Amino acid sequence: MPDTIHAKAGDIVLKLEDVSRTYQMGAIEVKALTGIALDITRGGFVAILGPSGSGKTTLLNLVGGIDSPSSGRITVDGIELSALDDKGLTSYRRNHIGFVFQFFNLIPTLTARENIEFAAELVNAPRAPDDVLEVVGLKERADHYPSELSGGEQQRVAIARALSKDPPILLCDEPTGELDFETGKHILSSMRTINKQDGKTILLVTHNTAIGEIADRVIRLRSGEIIEDRINESPIDPQGLRW
Amino acid sequence: MNRLKRISRHRLRRKLLRDLSASKGLFLAVTAVIILGVMFFGATSIGYQNLKQSYDYSYDELRFADFTIKVKEAPVEAVEELESIEGVASVTGRVNADIALALPGAESKRVLARVITLPADNRPAVNNVNLEEGSYFEAGDSDVLLVEKSFAEHHELEPGGNVILIADGRETTFGIAGIVTSPEYIWPAKNRQEILSSAETFGVVFVTEDAAIGLTGSSSINEFAFIVEQDADRDAIIAEAKQRLRTNSTIMDVVPREDQPSNTAVSMDLEEMGEFSEVFPLLFLIVGALATYIFLTRIVHNQRPQIGLMRAIGYTRRQVLIHYLSFALTIGVTGAIVGTIAGYLLSEVVTRFYVGILGLPYTQIQIQWLPIGEGLVLGIIPCAIAGIIPAYAASRLSPAEAMRIPAPAAGRKLLLEKVFPFLTRMSSVWKIPLRNIFRNRRRSLYTIIGVTFGISLILVSAAFIDSIDYFLNLQFERIQKYDAQMVFSPTQLPPATMVSEVQAWDEVDRAEPVLQVPVRLFRGDEEYTTSAVGLPPDSDLYRLYSTAGDRVNVSDEGILLSGSLEGVLDTHVGDVIAVVSAGVKEVQFYQVAGFLQQPMGAFGFVTLEEAQVLAGGQSVISGLMLDVHPDYLDSIREKAYTVPGVASVELTSESNDKVVELMSFIRNMMWIMLGFGAALALAIVFTTVTVNILERRPEIATMRTLGQDKGRIASMITIENLLLVIVGIIPGIPLGYLLAIYLFRLFQADIMTFYLIVYPTTYLWTIALIIVILLISQIPSIRHINRLDLARVIKEQST
Ligand SMILES: Nc1ncnc2c1ncn2[C@@H]1O[C@H](COP(=O)(O)OP(=O)(O)OP(=O)(O)O)[C@@H](O)[C@H]1O
Ligand SMILES: [Mg+2]
Repeated sequence: MPDTIHAKAGDIVLKLEDVSRTYQMGAIEVKALTGIALDITRGGFVAILGPSGSGKTTLLNLVGGIDSPSSGRITVDGIELSALDDKGLTSYRRNHIGFVFQFFNLIPTLTARENIEFAAELVNAPRAPDDVLEVVGLKERADHYPSELSGGEQQRVAIARALSKDPPILLCDEPTGELDFETGKHILSSMRTINKQDGKTILLVTHNTAIGEIADRVIRLRSGEIIEDRINESPIDPQGLRW
Repeated sequence: MNRLKRISRHRLRRKLLRDLSASKGLFLAVTAVIILGVMFFGATSIGYQNLKQSYDYSYDELRFADFTIKVKEAPVEAVEELESIEGVASVTGRVNADIALALPGAESKRVLARVITLPADNRPAVNNVNLEEGSYFEAGDSDVLLVEKSFAEHHELEPGGNVILIADGRETTFGIAGIVTSPEYIWPAKNRQEILSSAETFGVVFVTEDAAIGLTGSSSINEFAFIVEQDADRDAIIAEAKQRLRTNSTIMDVVPREDQPSNTAVSMDLEEMGEFSEVFPLLFLIVGALATYIFLTRIVHNQRPQIGLMRAIGYTRRQVLIHYLSFALTIGVTGAIVGTIAGYLLSEVVTRFYVGILGLPYTQIQIQWLPIGEGLVLGIIPCAIAGIIPAYAASRLSPAEAMRIPAPAAGRKLLLEKVFPFLTRMSSVWKIPLRNIFRNRRRSLYTIIGVTFGISLILVSAAFIDSIDYFLNLQFERIQKYDAQMVFSPTQLPPATMVSEVQAWDEVDRAEPVLQVPVRLFRGDEEYTTSAVGLPPDSDLYRLYSTAGDRVNVSDEGILLSGSLEGVLDTHVGDVIAVVSAGVKEVQFYQVAGFLQQPMGAFGFVTLEEAQVLAGGQSVISGLMLDVHPDYLDSIREKAYTVPGVASVELTSESNDKVVELMSFIRNMMWIMLGFGAALALAIVFTTVTVNILERRPEIATMRTLGQDKGRIASMITIENLLLVIVGIIPGIPLGYLLAIYLFRLFQADIMTFYLIVYPTTYLWTIALIIVILLISQIPSIRHINRLDLARVIKEQST
C-alpha cells in the first residue's frame, strides 16, 4: 500500500485509515469507496483523478464531514471525525473546510457578494468578499444574481466563497469543469498561489489528467479504490497548462 | 462572536425575504387564509364581547329582573310582603296588560299594546326604562305615556304626539311624554311563542299607576319583578315567593330571566355569534395550517441543495431549523397582525350594525384585549405547528444527500392501465394527467384536500341560506295559508258563530276559527308554558305537517306537539301529558298523537272543541283566519276592525316581511360567510395547484423543448386538476354537511326551529363554483409556464 509516501510524522493534516463507504439502494449495495488509506501532508496540493462514478465526490464528502464512512477512520488535524457529534461536525466544517461543489453551489436569491458573505459571516476572521472576488476576477459582478452569471462565473463565485472563510483545507470538486481554458488556468493559478503563499491544503477533484500535472501529488481512483498514488516531483505552472 | 451571530441572522433574514418575494403569489395566498381566519375571529369575537358587555351593562343599569311572577290579581301591599323574603334585593309590583291601541289618523286600525305600569314620581326598583327622547313622568301624571323605541320608530311617534288606548270599548287619549328603551324589550317579542312580533301590530307602552287605574278601574296588580341578592339561592326564593303569593292570589306563570322572551332571543343570537366566532375561524386556521405546511414543504423540497450547502459550509441544524420555521412564522405573524387589525375594524361595523338593528339601551365598545390576544395567538400557532414539521425535516437533511440532484419520481404504468388495457391506448392528453396524479400522490392529495375543505366551507354557508329559505317557505307558504288573521281581545272573545258571519263577507273566500288558550304542559319533571291551539279538524288555512313531512290534522286522538317539545318535555308519541289552563279547575290529560314541523313557536294543537273545554267550556274563538279575495287584500283590515273586540288584524304578507327583515341579518351573515368560504377555497386551491404546477417546471420545460404546444400542456394540466377536483368533491360534500349539522345545533330552540335543508340545485352550483375557482386558480401558473424562459429553467436545474 502506498500509504506512507509522505510519512513525515507531525506534518500529516489528513489521515484516512481503511475507509469504506457503501450506499444501500434497496436490495442493491453500491460500494462507492473501499479500503481507502491515505495520509495528506499539511500544505499539500493533491489532485484526485478518476472516471465518473469512481468515488471522487464521495471521498471529498467524507473528508469534508458532510458524509460519514461505513467503516474506517478519518482524522483531520488530530480530530477524529467519527467521534464528533453533529455540533462538532458543523463547527469542523465551519472552521476547517472550504467547499467548492460539483453541482449545486449558489443560493439563487442572493447576489454574488451576498453568497460570499453568507459563508464568511460564519467565521471569526473572514476575508473581505471583494478581495476574494478579485482573486477569481469577478469583482465587477459582485451585485449580480447567480441567474445573471454563466456557469463558469458561478463556479468562480463558489471558489471565492470557499476562500472567504480562509479555511486550512480546501476541497474542490471539478472547479474548472465548466470553465473555458483561459479562465480555468487563471483559477488554477490562484489556487496554486493560495496553496503556496497561505500554506492551505488543497484537494482538487478532476477527471482531466492534464490538470493533475499542476499538483504535487496525484491520486487515481477506480471503482472506489486507489489504483495509483504518486508524487509529482516537478509540478508544472498552471500558466503552462494545455488541454 | 455576538456581532457575527447578529450579522448571520441578518443575512438569513435577507434570504428569507428574497425567497418569500420569489414566491409571493403563494405567500400571499397562504397569508390571506390566515388573515381571513383571524379577521373573522376578531370581528365576531370582539363583536361578541362588545355586545355581551352592552347587554350586561344595560341589564345592570336598568336593573333587569332575575325572575318575574305573573298572578291573576294581587293587592299592591303584597310587594312589601315579598320584599321581606330573605335574599330578595328589590321587588316591583306592576300591571302588565294587553290593550288595543289606535294611532291618531288611523283610528280604524288597532294595534295590540302591551301596557306596563311604572311609578309616576320615581323610577322602578326593577325593570327600569332608559329615556331616549322626551321626559319621564311627573308625580300626578295620568294622561301621558312612554313608548318603546322600536314601536315609536316604526310608527314615527314622537314626544308631544298622541295615541289612543281602548279598554273595554272606552277610548282614552294619551299624550306621548317620551320614547324609552327597556331591558325586557330589547327584542320586542310579544311572548315566547311569538318571538318575531311585528311592530305593525304589536307595541309596548308604559303608563303611570294612576293611569292604569283609570283604564282598568282596579288598583290591583298582576306581576311582580324580582332582583335577588348576589349569591342568593334563586330557586329557594322563587319557591318562598310562590308560597306567600298563593294565600291571596292565583299564580299564572313564573318566568326566570333566562326564559324571558327578549332575553332568550338575544342570548340565542349572541350565543350563535359566540360559537361561530370560534368554529368558523378554526376551520380557516386548519386550512391555513395545511396551506402553510404545503407551502413550506415545497420550499424545503425545492431548496434541498441550498440546505445541503448551508449545512456543508457550517450552518448549524438549529440555524437551518429556525430559518425555515421563519417562513411559516412570517406567514403567521403577518396574517395575525393584519387579520387582527382588519378584524378589529370590522368588529366595530358588526357591533354598530347589530346595535343599530336592536336599539340597545346602552352600547359599550371597548378595546377587547383578550380576543385581540387570542386572535394573534390563533394566527401564529397553527403556522408554527405546520411549519415545524418541514423545518425540522430540513434541519435533519444529510448535506451530501441533499446536494445530489434527486432522480425524478418514476412515472409508471398504472394498475388501472393494467386492468383496463384500453387506457394505455388513450391519447397522451389523458394518459399523462392520469399518470401524474399517481406519480406524486402526496402532491395530488394536497389539491384534493384543498378542494375538500373549500367545497365544505361553501356548502356550510349555502346550507344555512337554504335552511333559512326553507324556514320562511314552510312558515309562510305551507303552514300559514291564510292571508289575514283577526285576533280578538282576550276579554271580548266572540262566539264560534262569528265564523259564518265573516264567511259571508264579499271580501272573504274562506274563514276558519282558531282558539288559543294559554296553558302549561307537564310531563314528568318537565313543564312548558305555551298555548293550546284549537283548530277545526278539516283546517285548510293553517296546515300541519308531521316531522316526517306529511300533512296531518287535529283529531280527538290526542294532542299534536311542535317537534321541539319532544326534547323540551322529554316525551314521545303515545305518552300522556298533563295540561293546566286557567279556564278549568281540573287538570286535563292528553295522549301525544304526534310531533309537527313548526318553524316558529312551540304549541300543542287540539280540536277547536277541545280548546273550548280548556277555555272553560264556552263556545268561543280567539281568532279568525281569512282567505281573502285578491281584490280586497288592501281593504280587509279596515273591514275587519268593524267587528267589535278585534284587537289586531295580522296580514301574513306583513309578518312574512317582518320575519324576512329580522332574518336578513343572519342571512347576510351567511352570504358573507359564503364569500369567506369561497375566498378560502380559492386560496387553498390556488396554493395547491400552483405548487403542483411550479414543481414540475423543469419537466414542463422539457416537454416544451420537445415541441409540445402550450395549449396541449394547459389541457393536460386542466384535465389533471379537474380529475383531482372530482375526487375532492366526493368527501367534501359529506364533510360540509356534517359541519352544517354541527353548527346547526345552535339554531335549535323551542321558540324557533330550523330544519337543515340543502336543495339539490345548491349542490350543483357549489360544485360549479369550485370548478370555476379551480379554473381561476390555475390561470397564473399556466400563464407562468407559458412565458417560461426555457433556457433559464434548464440552467437553474444545475445551479
Ligand atoms: N447517496 C448515494 N446513494 C447511492 N449511491 C451513491 C450515492 N452517492 C454516490 N453513489 C454512488 O457511488 C458511486 C461513486 O459516486 P461519486 O459521486 O463519488 O462519483 P464521482 O467519482 O464523483 O463521479 P463523477 O465524476 O461523475 O462526479 C457512484 O456509483 C454513485 O452512483
Ligand atoms: Mg463527482
